[in-house]
Amino acid sequence: MSLKEITKETTIADRFLVIALIILSISGSLFVKKAFPEGTDVRIDVDGKPVYLLPLDVNMVVAVKGMNGDSIVEIKDKKVRIKESSCPNKICVHNGWMDRGAIICLPNKVTVNIGSPENRQDRTIDAITG
Amino acid sequence: MKRKFQVLFSIILLFTVHSLLFTGCSPQKEKIYRKSKILMDTMVTITVVSDSEKKAEIAINEALSEIEKIGDLLNFFSDKSEIAEINKNAGVRPVKVSPETLEILDKTTYASEITSGAFDITIGPVISLWDFHKKIKPEDKAIKERLSLVSYKGIILDKAASSAYLNTKGMVIDPGGIAKGYAADKAVDMLKKSGIESGLVSIAGDIKAFGLKPDGRPWKIGIKNPRPTPLYSPLGKGGKGGSEIMATIELSDKAISTSGDYERYFIIEGSRYHHILNPKTGYPASECQSVSVIAKDGAATDSFSTGVFILGYEKGLRLLENMGFDGIIVDKDGKIHITSNLRGKLEFKRDN
Amino acid sequence: MQLQDKYRIALLSAYAVAIHSFESMLPTPVPWLRLGIANIITLVTLVLYGFRSAMTVTLIRVILSSMFIGTFLGPGFILSLGGGVSSTMAMGAVFSILPRLFGPLGLSLIGALFHNIAQLFLAYILFVQQIEPILIISPILILLGTITGVVNGIIAGLLIKNIPKNKSLSKKS
Repeated sequence: MSLKEITKETTIADRFLVIALIILSISGSLFVKKAFPEGTDVRIDVDGKPVYLLPLDVNMVVAVKGMNGDSIVEIKDKKVRIKESSCPNKICVHNGWMDRGAIICLPNKVTVNIGSPENRQDRTIDAITG
Repeated sequence: MKRKFQVLFSIILLFTVHSLLFTGCSPQKEKIYRKSKILMDTMVTITVVSDSEKKAEIAINEALSEIEKIGDLLNFFSDKSEIAEINKNAGVRPVKVSPETLEILDKTTYASEITSGAFDITIGPVISLWDFHKKIKPEDKAIKERLSLVSYKGIILDKAASSAYLNTKGMVIDPGGIAKGYAADKAVDMLKKSGIESGLVSIAGDIKAFGLKPDGRPWKIGIKNPRPTPLYSPLGKGGKGGSEIMATIELSDKAISTSGDYERYFIIEGSRYHHILNPKTGYPASECQSVSVIAKDGAATDSFSTGVFILGYEKGLRLLENMGFDGIIVDKDGKIHITSNLRGKLEFKRDN
Repeated sequence: MQLQDKYRIALLSAYAVAIHSFESMLPTPVPWLRLGIANIITLVTLVLYGFRSAMTVTLIRVILSSMFIGTFLGPGFILSLGGGVSSTMAMGAVFSILPRLFGPLGLSLIGALFHNIAQLFLAYILFVQQIEPILIISPILILLGTITGVVNGIIAGLLIKNIPKNKSLSKKS
């Protein structure tokens, strides 16, 4: 079966939908990374509970105990990535280095959030004592 | 029948898409505004809830300058502060001071009395023997000599004349253990005066919260783990690189302060020497790793966290219960003790 | 429900369960690509035997497979159920309201899209409660869903063309 035959089977709406989704998701992924403000610290949550608050300008590697095992978070040159993870699909690892926004590992329920005390609007934590 | 199904599907689909699009953007006009600044040699962050950015900014700036003012009055290291003036005139004459300095000294004496001298700002002469940066552990003899200068009973306050006097030459007061909590109180008063109904002032580990967040929830505070897990080695050195959070608690109209043995310390031959000295012995108190105290008043939480740290968890817990304060104590073996009122209110990390 | 329908649903469910379980065991060719081949069965069932059969097959697939894999009632199960049900509903709704507008390819894409939206939404309310990471991951998942959706849609289209309607699947023709 050739490509021509396959396209003959599709409706106009089908083809339109393919193109729309591809454009939407690619432009979305380009836009969404830039839409977030730059940050100064990295907050790591497991299961919605804050576990770490780390400065973005200090290079380090942290092993976070997630729901299905460890996720290794690396901070280097003001960028963060999930270096290794025990999750099955590894979307988080392939997310690569981020200098803003957030990385998520759904199976491990680990989120890595780049922000600063000024721009955090989320509700997982407001301040730290100690 | 089929039609009904179709209508139902459409409604559900619309609902799903809408809720996905609109979660996260709260409908209220009130927003959270934050600003950080280095004051009192530490990071100060003020958070307010307001419907106007301008109003929030003005209020935050006023609160920050209030903290700066208190920092200047109480600065132990500056020659020009009122504290330096009192220290210089120890055993010589009473010094006229501002109402703020008088108030804070009054609060320290109160905390000293309640903690039977465990919290004592006259520990200054002994503190200056130790150097936690250069890892200098003083001679036992030197500590013993200086201990005679340590007693809060030597602070003589005259409220009528608004003066303070140290009755022995060589006495030194260092209000560092109460100044930040007190400054947080004053900053919150200032914010309220500017018409702010909800906010959070955090001066290093001394935090005071009031009102509720725009989503109607109290403020959520993380409590540092005094001993970050060895696996997380980058944080090993006193958590300097960041914080591993041991537990979280929600607060409104309350202050919280934490004293820990991990902030300034050195280790010689397996013994940890940190900056919280027992005024009775002149050596670091070794009963606890970390003490967090929750109460209405920041000056109280700041001073009592130090006092309870020195008293140890048994006496400390009893004292907190008697005072109607709340507390989270990590004892020297790493066991966590909490006051009865806190049961069920702390949220611990998963593997605790 | 006629006996023949029951056989049909049972057989389709068995295919779906087998595919779903098999897929969950596969070391995925590209690490972050979930193929969602089981959606082919849902789509074929929908087009040939209607929405109720498709939903039944989906429910049986999600529940039985999770029992086989050992994730029943766990977080993975909730995501799988939410994704499966909403994708079937979305395909069913579009197919019954606008039957001529989309072919199997379009339906497959709609299914994949709603599968992802439902999973992201569930993940948001159940686990993450932060909008930023969800927003960042959304376009990537939707792009991947589109790619696998196209492949699945084409396969489903071929199957639908080659399975004569209203003939029992259990008899080999």
